[in-house]
Amino acid sequence: MTRRIRSTTGAAIGLCVALAAAGCAGGGDDGSGTSDGHATVTVWTNAMEGRGAKYWKDAAKAYQALHKDVTVKIQSVQNEDLDGKLQNALNSNSAPSIFLQRGGGKMQAMVDAGQIRALDLTDTDRANVGEAALQGVSIDGKVYAMPLDTQPEGIYYSKDLFKKAGITAPPTTMDELTDAVAKLKTVKVAPIAVGAKDAWPAAHWYYNFVLRECSQETMQEAAKSLTFDDPCWNKAGEDLAGLLGHTPFQKGFLTATSQQGAGSSAGMLANRKAAMELMGNWDPGVIADLTPDKKQLPDLGWFPFPAVPGGKGDPTAIMGGAGGYSLAKNAPKAAADFLRFVVTKEQQEAYGKAFDTIPVNKAAQGVVTETYNISALQAFNKAAYSMQFLDTVYGQNVGNAMNIAVVNLMAGKGTAGDIVKDVKAAAEKG
Amino acid sequence: MSDTLGADPAHGRQSQGMQGARGVAKSATPAPPRAAAHRRGRARMRLEIAVLSAPAIIMFLAFVIFPIVLAAYYGFYRWKGYGDPTDWVGLSNYKLILTDPAFHDVLWHNGLLLVLSLVVQGPIAIALALLLNQKIRGRSAIRVLIFVPYIVSEIIVGIGWGLILQSDGAANGLLERIGLGSLAADWIADPDLAIWTLVAIITWKYIGFAVILMLAGLQSIPEEIFEAAQIDGATYWQIQRRITLPLLGPTIRIWAFLSIIGSLQLFDLVYIIWGPYVAGTTGTSTMAIYMLAQGRNAGNYGYGSAVAVVMFVISLVVALIYQRFVLRRDLRGAVTEGTV
Repeated sequence: MTRRIRSTTGAAIGLCVALAAAGCAGGGDDGSGTSDGHATVTVWTNAMEGRGAKYWKDAAKAYQALHKDVTVKIQSVQNEDLDGKLQNALNSNSAPSIFLQRGGGKMQAMVDAGQIRALDLTDTDRANVGEAALQGVSIDGKVYAMPLDTQPEGIYYSKDLFKKAGITAPPTTMDELTDAVAKLKTVKVAPIAVGAKDAWPAAHWYYNFVLRECSQETMQEAAKSLTFDDPCWNKAGEDLAGLLGHTPFQKGFLTATSQQGAGSSAGMLANRKAAMELMGNWDPGVIADLTPDKKQLPDLGWFPFPAVPGGKGDPTAIMGGAGGYSLAKNAPKAAADFLRFVVTKEQQEAYGKAFDTIPVNKAAQGVVTETYNISALQAFNKAAYSMQFLDTVYGQNVGNAMNIAVVNLMAGKGTAGDIVKDVKAAAEKG
Repeated sequence: MSDTLGADPAHGRQSQGMQGARGVAKSATPAPPRAAAHRRGRARMRLEIAVLSAPAIIMFLAFVIFPIVLAAYYGFYRWKGYGDPTDWVGLSNYKLILTDPAFHDVLWHNGLLLVLSLVVQGPIAIALALLLNQKIRGRSAIRVLIFVPYIVSEIIVGIGWGLILQSDGAANGLLERIGLGSLAADWIADPDLAIWTLVAIITWKYIGFAVILMLAGLQSIPEEIFEAAQIDGATYWQIQRRITLPLLGPTIRIWAFLSIIGSLQLFDLVYIIWGPYVAGTTGTSTMAIYMLAQGRNAGNYGYGSAVAVVMFVISLVVALIYQRFVLRRDLRGAVTEGTV
């Protein structure tokens, strides 16, 4: 009797598991082509609404008009949710054909697990994107993502607030920056806003000091050895501590987010509560969304990270991101073709306008008309070299520890030496 | 009336038994007739139990037991979370956890929250329950007010208090308006204050639940005992100390158990107000936050799984010890023979 009951239960469990598995398999859409030659391409992007999301829908339509046998489905996934969902989809073989790729350690992990495919680029594609941008998304000479924009990082600022505080020109050295900080305090705004709750926005201050203090070779070498023994790593932390001595950041920056709502660092800029923010090139789009009238600040400006005296890094060097869109392992041919399509001049012009950013295709950079983007583009074109965001270069594990250690330093709970120590401890766990 | 009602079922049972016996006699089965019928009944009952409890058991296996087993398995690997884990590291993750000063910090925070939850919430809840157990004006309104925070979701509580307590938030604004501007502080961002802010929010949030439990406990104490004590000339305080508190014991012990487990697993409030990156800096991180920060955020899924296992073991051990030594008397008789 009991045995029969057990087997009934067993069968029931088995059935449920089978159903669940079938459910998973049925729900997933791997985007592969069907026998009659019709292909479906699914795209996961983090552009949720507004012009950005519209760009992708338009691009899909434009591509479908040229290729009647292809359906392109655009799915918007919220930025912070994207990585987790993507990871589940990749592991369960139900990944979208094309998805937003953050690059660096994450991309490396996907390559190691055989989950993404190298892009097969023609000379035209290479010319469209440019070698420098392709280098940032290459592993062992193979390109694993299609970059769509250049992401030079720098300080976005309000020209009006600078004028009001009597600052005549954007700071080019650290002394000038701290001088500007002091002047801005007199007009009762937070000189610099930072969203330390998300850790990385705070850490970018450290990255940029590293960029100025460490040579390009030292930074690249550290990606392989993960040792961080060069004194420049310490020096960068001390520089940051020195800047903190001038209390440049808004009150309570430790629990402020970077891009959500009026109280976030971008929101403070948008609402004229703060004068500066160090950010990547997506910032203007975020700021515009957070202004009271949802329009860009008319006086938004940009200047590169100031020079640090005595540093080994080239003073023109620029910090920037390297990501793009990757192809899942079993994406249909049309997916690769769609990626080629979005880096063509016309598409890139639309992309640049929609995202208020600098398109990667040089031929399309004529759409860059905003003064902040022009300043950033000029600095980018003048830069001796560009260095990827350090948390990307050193992988999620070490990068995450570095970010948190910087937050600790900024909260007065750690020293410059602790950053190096914490980073080394993290390397053990990964 | 009562006679016939009582007799009828007995009569029915008897006749059923006789029918059964007759039926068996005809079919000439050698098995003892009563036992066969009995066995058939038991089998049926077991089948019913199996069928009716299967959905719950399957859900429990799939969403509680299976993840625990999976976490234990992943805990032996270094795993970035992409593809299948392949890099077996044995107990190395566990060694790293136990020697990580950051883990010691979160253990200390959890312990502090546990103790403070008990010593702060307990007395307040008992006092409020005693107060609200009396016939006072507006009693229902006060009960509702105290209970409301418990109903509100943790996310809303977190966002709400996070906004109120930030440096330019309503709390500091109020202090300034009433002339106490010097007391204004950075309640959530200041590492010296943050944990106390957390304790205050937790108390505010969960006191209602404790009060309701205590009130239910108080109402289960028979009125006669108090009357007898009053007649014997006991004072109010004597009654509370000698009668109410001891009789409220089982309720207090159960509440303390829930509070302890809740403190060990605290996650939502800290995550919403501080987030996984800053919680460590402000001294409000907990084991669950550490798990998330080390697993998901740092991409060390093997290590994070090991943290989950450690957390599970700590909670289990505390729960077992508590049940064995504190709840022992209360649980006696609660376990019925049928399931032993």
